[in-house]
Amino acid sequence: MSTFDQAIISDEWENTDLSLLETLDHVLNRGLVIAGEITISVADIDLIFVGLNVMVSSVETANEVLRKRAATE
Amino acid sequence: MKVYVYCLAEGVERLNKTPRGISNLPVRIAKFQDLSALVSVCRPDAFKVTRKNALAHHEVVRSITRQTTPLPARFGTLVTIQQLSNYVSTHRQAIKAKLAHVRGRVEMNVRMIANIITDTSQESKNEDVPGPGTAFLLEKRREIVREKAGVVYKKQLSLWLREKLGDLVKEEKISVVISETVILARADHLIERVDVEEYRTKMANAVEGRPEARFMVSGPWPPYSFANIELEFSSQFGVS
Repeated sequence: MSTFDQAIISDEWENTDLSLLETLDHVLNRGLVIAGEITISVADIDLIFVGLNVMVSSVETANEVLRKRAATE
Repeated sequence: MKVYVYCLAEGVERLNKTPRGISNLPVRIAKFQDLSALVSVCRPDAFKVTRKNALAHHEVVRSITRQTTPLPARFGTLVTIQQLSNYVSTHRQAIKAKLAHVRGRVEMNVRMIANIITDTSQESKNEDVPGPGTAFLLEKRREIVREKAGVVYKKQLSLWLREKLGDLVKEEKISVVISETVILARADHLIERVDVEEYRTKMANAVEGRPEARFMVSGPWPPYSFANIELEFSSQFGVS
């Protein structure tokens, strides 16, 4: 395991999955915002959202869920 | 033509074994006097928001962190070189102060999940189904109660972490989200790079005393949570 990005004190979760989630959470949600184009909201691509609740989804999947939910309501 | 920005740093003259950047592009140094930005020259249509590119962004930031502690840019920062130059010149003092603050330091994160045990005995006694107006007001009241509880919990968590970690923490950011059933909390800590092992040991010991909650500690990270300058400005002057 590398020096960076180790996830410790977890239980049943896989360390590799946690490292990926944590990495994406940092990269997508944090960091210096420089005036320019933040193209996170582009659809049609493999965008991953990671929040405090550790949810991972591609835009396509999220849209599909929303479409299904709208259809049933 | 634009540049994709990975991070800002100080005193970077050359890159030691820097990996390829987003879209497999080479990483270069853009110099602005004593400040540097790690960038890739990129056509706007060549940049895609993909998992691979997000990880490539992090790999570049991580690699430079071995040389010096940078201010990581948020993923997806695509600007003209003129925009970047304007940003650096406008914020030069703030960037330098921020770099001085994170120098030799890294970020550690603690996540905590705890279940909320609620007393439903009172609710079950009231069998009347509330009307929509009453239901709305009840939900609103629950929201307010949760918000207040979140503020209190945040203070408690901060005190507990300070007690357990002591002077290791140079800066702290805590966020708490409380739902009907769980408390989700996240603490971001800026610590000295040399204190990582001590931090891990102290957290491991601290967690043993809290069996009611699940914890996850991760790091060291480049200081993603302590890099933003605009947010500080917003919080100081109430501008959003």
